[in-house]
Amino acid sequence: MNKLMNAKEYEESLRKLKLKVYMFGKRVENVVDDPIIRPSMNAVAATYEYAHKPEHEDIMTATSHLTGKKINRFTHIHQGVDDLVKKSKMGRLLGSQTACCFQRCVGMDALNALSITTHAIDEKYGTEYNKRFLKYLGYVQENDLTCDGAMTDPKGNRSLSPAKQFDPDLFMHVVEERPDGIVVSGAKAHQTGAVNSHEVIVMPTITMREEDRDYAISFALPSDAEGITYIMGRQSCDTRKLEGLTFDRGNMFYGGHEALVVFDRVFVPWERVFMYKEYDFSTMLVEHFAAYHRQSYACKVGVGDVLIGAAQTIAEYNGAERASHVKDKIIEMNHLNETLFCGCIACAAEGHREPSGTYQNDLLLANVHKQNVTRFPYEIARIAQDIAGGLMVTCPSAADLASPEVGKWVEKYYRTRDDVPTEHRLRILRLIENITMGTAAVGYLTESMHGAGSPQAQRIMIARLVNMKHKQKAAKELCGIEKGDQVS
Amino acid sequence: MRDRKGRPGKLKAGIKYCGGCRPEFDRIAAVKEMKEALGEAIEMVRMDDEEADFILVVTGCKTACVDVESLPLKAKKYISSLSDARRVMEELANKTKT
Ligand SMILES: Cc1cc2nc3c(=O)[nH]c(=O)nc-3n(C[C@H](O)[C@H](O)[C@H](O)COP(=O)(O)OP(=O)(O)OC[C@H]3O[C@@H](n4cnc5c(N)ncnc54)[C@H](O)[C@@H]3O)c2cc1C
Repeated sequence: MNKLMNAKEYEESLRKLKLKVYMFGKRVENVVDDPIIRPSMNAVAATYEYAHKPEHEDIMTATSHLTGKKINRFTHIHQGVDDLVKKSKMGRLLGSQTACCFQRCVGMDALNALSITTHAIDEKYGTEYNKRFLKYLGYVQENDLTCDGAMTDPKGNRSLSPAKQFDPDLFMHVVEERPDGIVVSGAKAHQTGAVNSHEVIVMPTITMREEDRDYAISFALPSDAEGITYIMGRQSCDTRKLEGLTFDRGNMFYGGHEALVVFDRVFVPWERVFMYKEYDFSTMLVEHFAAYHRQSYACKVGVGDVLIGAAQTIAEYNGAERASHVKDKIIEMNHLNETLFCGCIACAAEGHREPSGTYQNDLLLANVHKQNVTRFPYEIARIAQDIAGGLMVTCPSAADLASPEVGKWVEKYYRTRDDVPTEHRLRILRLIENITMGTAAVGYLTESMHGAGSPQAQRIMIARLVNMKHKQKAAKELCGIEKGDQVS
Repeated sequence: MRDRKGRPGKLKAGIKYCGGCRPEFDRIAAVKEMKEALGEAIEMVRMDDEEADFILVVTGCKTACVDVESLPLKAKKYISSLSDARRVMEELANKTKT
């Protein structure tokens, strides 16, 4: 029976995991209730809860091509352009509801990329990766699991290939082959939502050559498999979450997280291995995953929606909303944000069917979209900070506002209008701070820059994918260098 | 006015929303307003409720990307703006009066 978990069931399912998590040098015994981690759990929980809301289920759910049953879209293999478009819309929706990275897209993108690549490997080598993969997919869909899509290796010296690194573990690799499976060692860096995941799906991070065969591996494991350790990444302003539920945290409910995930001689049974030394398919897996994941940055449009809403609100609180330059800046924010939406819809609408039956979004347009994502959120954030005013970074804490001694001064001197409580002004400023330079800036800004590949990775793909000859032909024909079939 | 089962007056409307990625109006508030205005004359139920007399398809914008093919084969009324909501509300009010 397929189950569509709700937020509560998801939370309970996490409690059953025996994850080995470290933060601030100490083992975290209760991951789910840890105040720093909890907001990120809430954000993933939203992906479950929204699937049950009648007003969102049309985007949040899909029909499994394996069982014909209703499943959470995050476990779905895209069966048409409509699915791809709805994926972009889901990203925007959840971004606008959580204003942070809700972490579940990367696993969905890994599943879709593997559905295509395992099929292609089997076609060439007569292997049975796709059969294994589909069985695994059935398990993920049936249990409505969250998967960490683990691609990025620590990579060591960037100018050297995996096999040439001074430490072989700087890229994930196989260290032992057994009759019942393989043993792997290495790590995956920057893993979004890692400790909120039931599963971890490992993929190679770059193109591998023959000498890198041992590194050309893909597999899935339960997130609490023996030998896996999580070391939580810090986010700016993270310890504000230890101060209780004060408005200084900006976003009162949600957040994201990333972790370094270490695999110390971890056993993987064969039925969970989806690529084993077929180095000639590493590029295919990386590129398909990257195209899907670059589309997934539709979520930033949703976070942009919140930031624009916050900027308009603070302009009104400050009494500056009618100034022509402020109005124009809000227009610019919307223009940039909707331009991002255009990109993620376009790459979905131009999707195509792969031999496996999975629909893949348009690679060129996905790369163009992600390239815009590396820039526009920064500009939107800059304008939000301009409109917000300096108080966003100089205002006293919530505790000062509540202080019997100085609270009255904060209240008096940071009041702008008689119909707007000072606390409301400070709350909206803290939200803008959170998104543009606090914990959520990790997702809105730096993840926009490097997540799914740094800007140069997209530029390389754009150079490769555009049909330059076609453009030159058109130019040469129109100026008479070459003869075409123009009407004269 | 009689419903599908021949009962007088009261109509059952199955509600199907789009996903709501960038709604141009508040879909939930519009349905709530309809519910309040029509009062006893109408009951809002889930779109897959067998007893629904018709389905109200409420979409946040005119793209209306909602998956209507998977909906039960029943009459559908489309709402993709506040004015649509008011028009349908009037239509239903008139129907339930007669
Ligand atoms: C918030 C966040 C969340 C993330 N989530 C995930 C996740 O869930 N799963 C996952 O697998 N990954 C994730 N990533 C990782 C992301 O894909 C990488 O950050 C990205 O691929 C860049 O790698 P890097 O951070 O090691 O930067 P680097 O590779 O060190 O890049 C730094 C700079 O050096 C340049 N550079 C690097 N190598 C070369 C080279 N060989 N030649 C020329 N220039 C080079 C780059 O273009 C860039 O300008 C996440 C990253 C962030 C920031």
